[in-house]
Order: sequence, then C-alpha cells, then structure tokens
Amino acid sequence: MLAISTKNLSKFYGEQVGIKDVNLEVNQGEIFGFVGPNGSGKSTAIRTFLGLLKPTSGSASILGQDIDSEGAELRKKIGYLPSEVHYYEEMSSLELLNYHARFYDNVDVSKIHELAEYFELQLDRKITDLSFGNKKKCAIIQAIVHKPELLILDEPTSGLDPLMQNRFFELLEKENENGTTIFFSSHILSEVQRLCDRAAVIRNGEIIAVENIQDLLMKQMKKVTLIFKEQQLDLKIPSGCQHKKWHNKKLTFDYVGPIDLLVDWMSQQELIDAVLEEPDLESIFMNYYER
Amino acid sequence: MIWTTIVVGFTVMVLSIFPFMADMGKDMTQLIDNMPVELQKAMGMDAQTWSNILGFYSTYFGIYIVVLVAIYTTSTGATIISKEEKDGTSEFLMTKPISRLTIFKTKMMSLLVLTILIYVIQTLSAIIGISAFAQSEVLWSKLATMQISGFFLVLFFTSIGVLLSMFVKPKKNFMGIVVGLTFGSYFLNAIAKSTDATSWLGYFSPFNYVDFTVLASDYEINYMAIIGFVAIAAVLLFIAFKSYAKKDIAG
Repeated sequence: MLAISTKNLSKFYGEQVGIKDVNLEVNQGEIFGFVGPNGSGKSTAIRTFLGLLKPTSGSASILGQDIDSEGAELRKKIGYLPSEVHYYEEMSSLELLNYHARFYDNVDVSKIHELAEYFELQLDRKITDLSFGNKKKCAIIQAIVHKPELLILDEPTSGLDPLMQNRFFELLEKENENGTTIFFSSHILSEVQRLCDRAAVIRNGEIIAVENIQDLLMKQMKKVTLIFKEQQLDLKIPSGCQHKKWHNKKLTFDYVGPIDLLVDWMSQQELIDAVLEEPDLESIFMNYYER
Repeated sequence: MIWTTIVVGFTVMVLSIFPFMADMGKDMTQLIDNMPVELQKAMGMDAQTWSNILGFYSTYFGIYIVVLVAIYTTSTGATIISKEEKDGTSEFLMTKPISRLTIFKTKMMSLLVLTILIYVIQTLSAIIGISAFAQSEVLWSKLATMQISGFFLVLFFTSIGVLLSMFVKPKKNFMGIVVGLTFGSYFLNAIAKSTDATSWLGYFSPFNYVDFTVLASDYEINYMAIIGFVAIAAVLLFIAFKSYAKKDIAG
C-alpha cells in the first residue's frame, strides 16, 4: 500500500491552474520532499489531500483511502502542519491542543506537555499573544501529538529559529524511524537535502521531476561569485562553467563538476573575495533538465 | 448575552409603559380613530390596542421584538460558519477526522439551541411583564399563539442567514443585509396591509403569513404558515449544506 497515490489530480480555480494532472506515488516510511517556488501549487496539492479543496478532476488515495469519499476516516491517520497557522485566538495553547486531542481516539495527553517542554512552548498563554514562531510550535505539537501514520508538513520551518528547527528535524527523524511517513513541502533546499529520501518538483501546478536526493546532489551545481583585482574579459575559466557574466571586477558563473578543479583554478587567480553558494532547488532542477 | 439583555429589557420596558398608556386609553382611542385607517392597519393597531395589555404588547412584539430577535439569530446564522472561514480556523476544524456534514449538523444544532434559548428568555420576560402590569384578565392562550407564530418566523429568518453566509462575499459584516432583510420584510408587510391596492406585496413578506392581531376574535395559529416556514427553512438549509459540502476552503 502506498502512503500517497494520486491519479491525474487536478484543481482549477475557474480558469486558473492550481495543480494539473499530478501523479505522485509516495511510499510508506519515506520522507518525501515536495519542492517548488511560491505559488507553484504545493499548498493547493496539500489542501486537496486534506479535503479542504475539492479536486476538479482526477483522484487521490492516502493510506489506501480515497481523499474525498473517505476523508473523515482518513484524517484520523494524518497529522497536518499548515504553512500559516490560524487558531482560535481566545484559547490558550493547552486548551487548543486538548480540543484537538478530543477529535482522535486514545491521545496520550501527557505527550502535549512533553512536546511543549521539548519546544519550550508555554502552554498557558493565549494563542493571540503568541509570536509567529510560537504559534508554529503549537501547530507542530498539534500535527504530531495524535501519532499520525502520515505527517503532511507545509513549509514547516518558517518562523522557527535555527535551534528549534534543529530540534524539529531531530523529532521528525525519530518519528520517521518509528514508521511515520513524512510529506515535506518546502522551497528551502538544505532542509529537503537533510531530511528527504526523494523529492518531487512542482512548477506552475505540474510535477516536472521526481528525484532521488542523493543522485541529485552529485549533479548539483554551485553559483560562483568572484571579485578580482582587475577585470579580465579574456580570462579562461574551467570547463563546467555556464552563464559567465562580468560586472566590473565581479565575475559570476554556475559551475557543475568536481569541486577540487574549481578550487585549484581559483588559487591561481588574484582574488579579493569568493562566494560559493547553492542555487535554489528550482534552478538546480532546471539546470539538470537543460542538459 | 448582550442581545438577550436588550430583548428582555425591551420587553419589560414596553410592558411597563402600558399602565401610563392605559390611563390615556380614552384619549388614545380617540386619537387613533382620527388616524388614517391605512396607518392603523400598517401598524397593526386599532382602538383596543391601547386599552388591553396583550394588544399593546402585540403591537410592539410585531414591530420590534420579533425583528430584534430575528436580527440577532439571523446574523448569528450568517456568521456561525463564515466566521471560521474568515478567521482561518475552519482549516483547523476541517482537517480533523470529521465530515463536513457533522460540522454542519453540529453548528445548526447549536444555532437552534441558541435561538430557542433567547426566545424562551424573551417569552418568560413577556409573561412576567404582562402579569406584573396587567389590569384585567389576560388571555394567555392568545399570547402563546402569538409567541409560537413569532418563533417560527424567527427560525425562518435564521435559516436565510445561514444560506446568506454561503453566497455573500465578503464575509465581513452581515448586519447590514440582515437588518435590511428583517426590517425590509416587516415594512413590506406594513405597506401591504395598509391598502388593498398594495396587498399583493404581502406575498413577498414572511410577516404576512403570521399576524399578531391577538385581539381579533378568530386569532389562532396559522398552521399552514408554520409548516411552510419549516419546510422552506429546511430547503434553505439543505441548499446551504450542499454548497458547504463542495466548498473550497482557501488558505
């Protein structure tokens, strides 16, 4: 049985495409990345999985149950972390989490306190008084506390400080070891890289690639920015460089190839500064598909 | 809570004015006799209105109290689902393992309980007020008839409120529409009653189907109207649910 399986799942808002002919297969026990720029349809797909949006055409089943006709039963097994958290503002975190727990069978309420301690969340404060990051922590606890078989996370790290992000990832890894499937939507490559086994890339509502992350990293390019003492328009640069561009004394290009070749070459230049950075995931994929 | 207080306060206030009015009864009767017949009919008054507490109360009941209660319950009906959508908390609720039918049913049940609660409180305050200020024997069965008719009218408006919330955007403030709807249909009925030439307008106003002329000798419950209200309300709620069931919850 697959954790998530969609068949030509489409959602249109009138004429506008939300998602189009999405075919995805996510295995149980996997941490599956779902990446794409803002507005590419990540949230639309996720909200359709959860029954918040009704598909225009196509179908999807999660853990063997249809998202539309068996939605209520199915949602017992899902933990959902929305990208933007909207809660009943007059409740305290504890009231909210207890209310949440009442919708599920056999929730261990002591786990709420355990998780709150782990994330350093004060449970007695009202939702309306919580910062964005603290609301997010409350949402994380809410997604995890009823021990779902599938966790659906929509840009989960926005608003969390690095320390909390790290604790959160450690928790996710632990949950995954215990068998939880994780569907992880993000536009931040490093997160996906750290956690995910595979990832799908979505662009303008369509899945353009499903990749194994390890394979992908081997092919990863670097964005290189070098500042020279002098502009040298006739400079020879190593093979594997693309999109070379000079701005006065600054040279930028994309590099795909063995890193030691690049470093050797750089050491022979008269440089003032050098920056090597990962491009966003979208351009990696685009670069990968252009070749 | 605030609305209950207003409605109760209003009921008691109206009834407490009665003794003063009754003292002026004779003068008032003369004054009303001198008023154009059209205006009398529109306001649901006649010469007896001012000398009998039930007649007096019914005038205010028809004009203000039913409308006030209806405004409150209708606007609550309009916001009971849409507020969660506006605040984004519907996302929290609808990602839980419950169906939209369950959510809808639960919300409608609480709306019904709330409507009954405010109505019962209003009725009790009317009974207490009438007992306190009545100067002659009170025909309680007439009061019961009026209160029951009024309740179904309120229910009917409330279901319109629920339906409104499904189709009206933006979901900020339904008060304007609700006040317009309730007062509008009241005045439509008032105009309809004033002359024969305008009586056809009455068909468009739910007020036309329940009258509050308690002092008429043949005053009784209009069962057809009540069945009609309940049936139409059920249809409206059904349409509202159908729309709710396939609705997209935007992020």
